[in-house]
Amino acid sequence: MLAAALAGALLYPLISHAVPAKGAVAPDFVLKDVSGHNLRLSEYRGDTVVLSFWGSWCGPCRESLTQLNAIASLPGVDAPVLLGVNLDGDAGRAVAVTESLHLAFPTLIDTKQSVGRLYDVDDLPLTLLIDPEGRVRGVWTGNTNPMPELTRRIKELQSQ
Amino acid sequence: MISNMESTGRRWLVAATALAALGAALAAGRAHAQTPPAAEQVRAVDQDVQVLKKQLIDLNRDLFKLEEELLYPASTQVAVFLSVDVGTFFALDSVTLKVDNKEVAHYLYTDREVQALHRGGVQKLYLGNLKAGPHEIVAFFTGKGPHDRDYRRGATLTFDKEVGAKYVELRISDRVASLEPEFVVRQWE
Repeated sequence: MLAAALAGALLYPLISHAVPAKGAVAPDFVLKDVSGHNLRLSEYRGDTVVLSFWGSWCGPCRESLTQLNAIASLPGVDAPVLLGVNLDGDAGRAVAVTESLHLAFPTLIDTKQSVGRLYDVDDLPLTLLIDPEGRVRGVWTGNTNPMPELTRRIKELQSQ
Repeated sequence: MISNMESTGRRWLVAATALAALGAALAAGRAHAQTPPAAEQVRAVDQDVQVLKKQLIDLNRDLFKLEEELLYPASTQVAVFLSVDVGTFFALDSVTLKVDNKEVAHYLYTDREVQALHRGGVQKLYLGNLKAGPHEIVAFFTGKGPHDRDYRRGATLTFDKEVGAKYVELRISDRVASLEPEFVVRQWE
């Protein structure tokens, strides 16, 4: 019994998926953006990255995207790398929303939702702050407005 | 998935070793802390830590080799590599690899990865096991061809797997005579 419990405890992290915890390395992935370029998360090592999962049908997602779009112009903050991951099954809708919101950062298309599963996204929007070493420093989901804390943590990372 | 689990398992082992090493280093540091911190002692601890780090890197390398030998023994090992020779007529976007009609690899290339291939890099696209006998490898290359047109081509290799590792190279090169890209699959002897 004890052996089974121990084996389960050891194997669980290997077979389970969950939103990466703070301090964990953000799982790597590669996706196409709306203009057809392939982008790989690990190629942004050395930069602070804000990764945001969204869907076109999700109202709070649009609000979150608009706020993220404004991050580049915030005073006292060097703009981090912003990446949006669209989880719609339809790339056309992702393109339409990207254009209508005038997003200044790449929108990656995850039509098969493989990256969504990798990050165990079940509540949108999901925003992650990833430090230059590729570790997750903050996770915000749902209707929580991440901007005040996100901005503070970006400043902290950039001052280190 | 299995490969991810295996690599996670290896990382766990390395992490556990690292923790043990760090614990030893901390214990050593604590022992040193009980006496006045002379510069010499600090230097000695620093040297110990450096030695431990090097041992950890060596151990990680040995574990990686051991993992590869155990999971992909030479008698069944098949490795597929990809290289680009010039490649001015083709902008690589992705490669899908099928072995015996089963998809075993699909890879999307970023601009940086394509540049690395153009500079002579060789990518290990697939590493797996095949039993002895006849097999077929089919690679589908997707990208932009001449005049920036969408381009998709396949290349096939049928071979007899014998006892011993099999290495296959997918090479993208230019066919200057026809101003078209050429996709070659060849075996390394």
